Amino acid sequence: MISEQAKQRMRDLASRYPVARSAVMPALYIAQQEEGYITQEALQAIAEAIGMTVDDVESVATFYTMYYQQPPGKKVIKVCTSISCYLRGCDKLVEHLEQRLGIKRSETTPDGNYTLMTTECLASCGTAPVLQVNNQFVEKVTLEMADTLVDEWDHELKTKLDLSC
Amino acid sequence: MPELIVTKDIDAPGLDTLEGYRQHGGYEALAKALQSQPDDLVEMIKKSGLRGRGGAGFPTGMKWSFLAKNDKTRYLCCNADESEPGTFKDRMLMEKNPHQLVEGVIITSYACRVSVAFIYVRGELALAGDQVERAVAEAYAAGYIGKNILGSGYNLDVIVHRGAGAYICGEESALMESLEGRRGYPRLKPPFPAAIGLYGGPTVINNAETLSTIPAIVKNGADWYASFGTEKSKGTRVFCLSGHVKKPGNYELPLGTPLRTLIYDEQYGGGILDDKQLKAIIPGGSSTFILGADKIDTPLDFEAIAAAGSMLGSGGVIVMNEDTCIVDAVLRMTEFYRDESCGKCTPCREGTYWLTEILHRIEHGDGRERDIDLLLDICDNISGKSFCPLGDAATSSITSSIKLFREEYEHHITHNRCMVGSRQFDVKPEVEAHSLQVGAR
Amino acid sequence: MAEEKQDELVHLTIDDIPVAVPPGTLVWAAAKQAGIEIPIYCYHPKMPPLGACRMCFVEIEKMPKPPQTACTTPVSEGMIVHTRTDKVQKARRGTLEFLLINHPLDCPICDKGGECDLQDFTLRYGPGGTRFDLYKRHYPKPVPVSDRVMLDRERCILCQRCTRFSSEISMDNGLVMISRGYKMEVGTAPDHAFDSIFSGNTVEMCPVGALTASAYRFKARPWELKHTPSVCNNCSVGCNVRIDVRVDKVMRLMSRTNDDIDDGWLCDRGRWGFEFVNSPQRLRTPLVRRGGKLEPASWDEAFFFIASRLQGIIKNYGAKAVAGIGSTRTTNEEAYLFQKLLRQVIGTPHVDHHHGHFPGPRDLLTGKPWMMTNSIAEIEKASHIVLVASDPYQRQPILNLRIKKAMKGGARIYIVNEGETELDRFAASKITVPQHGAGMAAKMLLKYILNNEIDNPHQHEDLRARLQSEDADIQAAEKSFGPETSTRLQHLAHEIAQAKGAIILYDEMATLAPGCQGLAADLQTVAVITGNIDRPGAGVGPLLEDANSLGARDMGLLPDALPGYQPTSEPGLPYNEILSSPNIKALYVIGANPMRHVGQFPPDLELLIVQDILLTETAQQADVVLPAVTFAEKDGSMTNVDHHVQAVWHALRPLPGAKADWEILTTLANHLGHKWNYSSPQEILLEIASTNPFYAGLTWEDLRPHGVRTSEQEVAHVS
Repeated sequence: MISEQAKQRMRDLASRYPVARSAVMPALYIAQQEEGYITQEALQAIAEAIGMTVDDVESVATFYTMYYQQPPGKKVIKVCTSISCYLRGCDKLVEHLEQRLGIKRSETTPDGNYTLMTTECLASCGTAPVLQVNNQFVEKVTLEMADTLVDEWDHELKTKLDLSC
Repeated sequence: MPELIVTKDIDAPGLDTLEGYRQHGGYEALAKALQSQPDDLVEMIKKSGLRGRGGAGFPTGMKWSFLAKNDKTRYLCCNADESEPGTFKDRMLMEKNPHQLVEGVIITSYACRVSVAFIYVRGELALAGDQVERAVAEAYAAGYIGKNILGSGYNLDVIVHRGAGAYICGEESALMESLEGRRGYPRLKPPFPAAIGLYGGPTVINNAETLSTIPAIVKNGADWYASFGTEKSKGTRVFCLSGHVKKPGNYELPLGTPLRTLIYDEQYGGGILDDKQLKAIIPGGSSTFILGADKIDTPLDFEAIAAAGSMLGSGGVIVMNEDTCIVDAVLRMTEFYRDESCGKCTPCREGTYWLTEILHRIEHGDGRERDIDLLLDICDNISGKSFCPLGDAATSSITSSIKLFREEYEHHITHNRCMVGSRQFDVKPEVEAHSLQVGAR
Repeated sequence: MAEEKQDELVHLTIDDIPVAVPPGTLVWAAAKQAGIEIPIYCYHPKMPPLGACRMCFVEIEKMPKPPQTACTTPVSEGMIVHTRTDKVQKARRGTLEFLLINHPLDCPICDKGGECDLQDFTLRYGPGGTRFDLYKRHYPKPVPVSDRVMLDRERCILCQRCTRFSSEISMDNGLVMISRGYKMEVGTAPDHAFDSIFSGNTVEMCPVGALTASAYRFKARPWELKHTPSVCNNCSVGCNVRIDVRVDKVMRLMSRTNDDIDDGWLCDRGRWGFEFVNSPQRLRTPLVRRGGKLEPASWDEAFFFIASRLQGIIKNYGAKAVAGIGSTRTTNEEAYLFQKLLRQVIGTPHVDHHHGHFPGPRDLLTGKPWMMTNSIAEIEKASHIVLVASDPYQRQPILNLRIKKAMKGGARIYIVNEGETELDRFAASKITVPQHGAGMAAKMLLKYILNNEIDNPHQHEDLRARLQSEDADIQAAEKSFGPETSTRLQHLAHEIAQAKGAIILYDEMATLAPGCQGLAADLQTVAVITGNIDRPGAGVGPLLEDANSLGARDMGLLPDALPGYQPTSEPGLPYNEILSSPNIKALYVIGANPMRHVGQFPPDLELLIVQDILLTETAQQADVVLPAVTFAEKDGSMTNVDHHVQAVWHALRPLPGAKADWEILTTLANHLGHKWNYSSPQEILLEIASTNPFYAGLTWEDLRPHGVRTSEQEVAHVS
C-alpha cells in the first residue's frame, strides 16, 4: 500500500525539480521504503504522481539495480565481489555466508529474514572485503566476524518477532 | 609528510558538522569568492592547473570557460557517483568532510553563474548521501545556499540526488539522463554538456574530489596550488590504494609521486601483503591497462602513467601479488563491465557477455586454443566501436593482461588449470553444468 | 535564389563520388543520395540519431579514432568518406557477429524472412560464420505485448526503434526497454498491454522479426506478395499505403511514406482495418426484393428492374421525386458520376451526402469552399494549434502525430472540448466546456477578440452588430461556463490574436450538435480577423470524416452546389430533408448508411436502391442491392482533408459478381437511355479536370507516385 503521504512526497519532489520526471528515482525509493520492493501499485502511484506511463516507470526501475523487483528479506546482505575485494578474499566470505544462511547468492531464506546478494564495487576497497547490510557498511569482514554478525542479526530478528507476538 | 589539501584535517572530530568545518576555516573561501568576479575565479582555477579527478583529467578551469553563453538556465552537476572498482576517495570525502564538497559546489556555481546545482551521489553510498544532504541543509540554514548568499545578491539552489545502482551514470552524459529521470544511457556528443546539458541548459559537471579541492585553491591561491605536483599535472590527488598491500587506504600525495613510494613507503602502502612479490598494478581503477611490476618506479602523474602504457584514471591503484591468477582477476573485472553495460550499443552489450563466457571457460579449465586470439579480436571489435568509453574500458584488462601474462592464459588452456600454485580450482556446480552445455572435454 | 541555395550546400566525397547536400545532413543521408548503402538498424530517418547499433561505420579522413558512425556524423565541407575500407568492413562484421551470437536463426519460420535487415546485411556485410560456440540465450517466444503485436525477444537486436517511436513520435511511452545490459529487453510494465493506436508502426519499423502483427503472422512469405501503391480508406487524412496481396486476399497494409501527409506513419485502424475487403459477408450478386425478400438476381435483371421502376416513378411524380445520397468513401470519379446521373440523366436536384453543417458551399468571408486552409505539413510551422471540439487521436489519428511533432518543435496546443482527449496532457491550456458548448465557446472567442484584441472599435462593424444581436445568448453561456472557463477563453483569444501562426481545427461532425451550427463560420471568422489565414503556419478548417469527404463536396454531392462549388439555380433538398420528405418516392444510396445515421427513410418511399459492398442496415431495407467493390479493387482518385488528390489502384481482382461503382453508374445511365461510354476512371478524371476548377488540368499520371495538393484555379469564379 502506497500511503497518501508517500504520494504527496512524490508530488512535492516532482515540483522541486526543473522537470517533473526527474523525481522518478527518488519516488521509486519512497515506494520501495513503503513496500519493500517495486510493486505494480508502486508503478501506478509513481506514474500518476509524476505524469509518466507505468511502462515508462518500469523501464527506469529495471535499469537501476537498487530497486528490487522481488520482495527482499528483512536483512539484505550485499557482499562486494569486485576486484579489490576479490583480491582480499570476498569469494570465501560469500561462500561462508551461503553455508551459514543455507541459501545461494541472489536468494532469500524461506523465513524471509535474509537475502544474500553479491554486488559491484562499493567504494570500500581500502577496507576489503566489505559487505553492506541494509545499506550499512561492514568493513574488513573476516569469516569470524561474519558469523558474529549473523548471530547478532538472528538475535535482533528473533527479538523483534517476540515483541510483535 | 607532504602538505595535505583535500584531506586536510580529515580525521578531525566533528569536521563533518557545520561548526566543526567552520573551526577549520570552512566557508572562508566562499566569503572570499563572493567578493570576486565570477570570471576571475574561472581564471584562478585555470591558473591553478587543477585537472578533473574523475578519470579523464580534463583541466577544470577550461571546462568552466567552455560554458555556452546564452540565456538558458545553467546547471552544475557534482559527479559523486563514485563506482570505478578500486576507487573510494569520494565516499571518504563525503562521509568525513561533506561541507568542503558543498562549499566547492557553491563556489563553482557562483564562478559559473549557475543557479541550480545537483549533487549526484551514488545510491549505494547511503551514509555519504546522508552526510551531504545534511550538510546542504545546514548550509541552507546558515545562509550559504539559498537567496542572497552572504548578502552578495547571489542565489543558488542545491539538490542532492541519489543514484540507484548503475556504474554508467558516472559517465557525465548518462548522469544527466539519470538526473532527468531516464535510464542512464550515455548521450551523443557533440553537443557537449557545456553547450547543451541538463534540461538543455549549459552544464558543468565536476567530480566530487575536484569540487572539494576548490575551496583550498580559492583560499590559498592558484600559485600555491600549482606549486604542488609536476609541470603538467599540478596539485595533489587522493590515491586509493587497494589489493595486496599491507596498508590499503586513501593517501593524498602530490602528483608525480612514484608508484613505489605509494606502495612500499611505510607511511603509505607499507609493501606487499605477506611480503610477497609484486605481480601487477592497475594504476587508475579497473578501466585502465594493467602495468607489470617493472613499472614500479613510474611517477603517478597523467603523462608518466600514459607513457608507461596506462592511465591515471580515477586514482584507484590496485596491487596484485604473485599469487594472483590473472585470468580469474580479469574475469572478475570483465564480469563487472558485463553487468554494468547499459545495453545501449551492440559491441559493449553483446561483447562483454561473450568475453565473460570465454574467460569463464578458460579460467575453469575448458578453454580452447583459439580462445586467446578470439578474446583479442572481440576486444578489437569492442574497443573504439562502442558508443561510450565503457566498452573500451571493458577491454583494457584483457588486452593488457594477455600482453603481459599470455603464458598464464595458455597454461590454463593447455593444462586445464591455473599456473599460479596457491590458488586451487574451486569448480562450482553451475560451472559443471555450463561445461556440459558446450560439450566438455 | 537557386544559385544561392547551391552555395549553401556542403560538398564532400563518399567513395570518391562527389555529393552536395544541405548543412546538417548526416553522412548516412548523403551516402544515400549518392546511391551508396550504409547499413543501419537503430537509425530511422524520422527520429533523431541514436548511435546505438554500431552498424553504420564509415571511415572519415582526418577524424580521430576511426571508424565513425555515419548516422551520427553531420557532413562538413571537403569531408572525405570511405565506406568500404578494411577497418569499416571489419567493424561491421564485428557488429553483425555480436548481433547474431544470441540470435535464434529461425529464419525459415520467421515472418520477416525475405525482408529482414539482419538477413540482408549479414549477407552483404556479415561474417560467413560465427565464432560463438556457446549456448544461446532463450526466451519464451513469442509473447503478446498487446492483442495485435507479438514480441520475440530472441530475435530482437535491441535497436530501440520501436521504443523510441513510442517515446519520441507517438509519445505514449507504452513500449519501453526493460532491464539493462545483456539482460535488456523490449517490454511493458508487468501485465500491462502495449496500448497504442499507433502500435503497428513499431512492427513495420522493426528491422528484424522481433515484433510481428498477429494479423499477419504466418499468413504469407514476403516474396509471394504483390505490392500496390494506394491510399488508406479509413479517415480523411489519406495516408499513403502499400497494399500487399497474396492470391487476391489483402494480407497487410504498409506505409508508403508521404512526408506531406502521413510522415511515414499509419494508425492501427488504417493498417489493420481492412477486414471488410476480405470479408466473407461481401455482396457477390445483385439482390432484388421479391415477395418481401431480397433474392439474388443477375446484373441485367437488376438494371432492368431499376430502370423500369425509376422511369415509372418519374412518370408518375416527376424526376424530383428521386433523390440520391452519395458516399464519402467512393472515388471522386464515382461521386462525380453519381451526381451527374441524378442531375443530368434523371433530372433531380436532390443530391447530398452525410456531412457536417456548413452555411452554404462557400464561406462568405473568404469566398472559399469549406476546407482546411492550411496543409497538414504546415501544422509543424504553427506557433499555436487550437483544437475545438475535435479529437484527431480518435478520428484522424495521424494528424495527432503531426501535432505532437509540431509541439516538439515548440508549438503550443490549446484544446476546447467537452470531453477528455489524448492531447490534454500536452496542452498549454485545456478548456473544458459543457456538452455542446463548443458553438458558444467559438462565439465567446469571437467576442473577446473583437472587444479586447482589436484596437479600432469601428473595424468589423457588421460582425460586431451580428455578435451584439447574439450577446444575450453569449452572456448566458459565459454564466453557465463559469468565470474560470471564460477567463481561459479570453486568454486563448489573446493568444490567437498574438500568435505568430495559429491553426484552428474543429471536427466536421461537431457542427451538427445542437447550438453548434455556427461553429464553422465563427471559427473561420476568428481566423480571418486575427490574420491567421493564408500565411505560413496559420489556418483554419474542418477535420473531415472520411477518406473522400472532401472529394464528395468537390464533386458536387451537395444540394446547393454543382461540381467545383459552382452555383446552382435550383438547390435540392439537403440530407436530412431528403430522408424525411414525403415527396421523395425513389432514393438511390451509394456507399452510405443513412439508416444508421438518421434511422429513417422518406415516409412515402416506393423504391430504395442501395449500392454497397456489404448488406448494411440501409441495404437490408432496399428494393434492389447492387454489389460494389472496395478501394482495393478499383482505380480512382480521392481527395483528402488538406486537398491532396491521390490515386488508389486496384490491388486485387474485383470480387466475382461485384462491380466498381463507376461501372455500375455507367451501365445504369445507359439503361436509362443516356450514352455514357466511360471505359476507365482515368477517362472520367479527364472530364472532371476539364470542368472542375479544383482539378483543372489534372491527369492520372500526375497522381503518381504521390498525389498533388490542388487549389482552385483562376477559371473558377469566372464560370
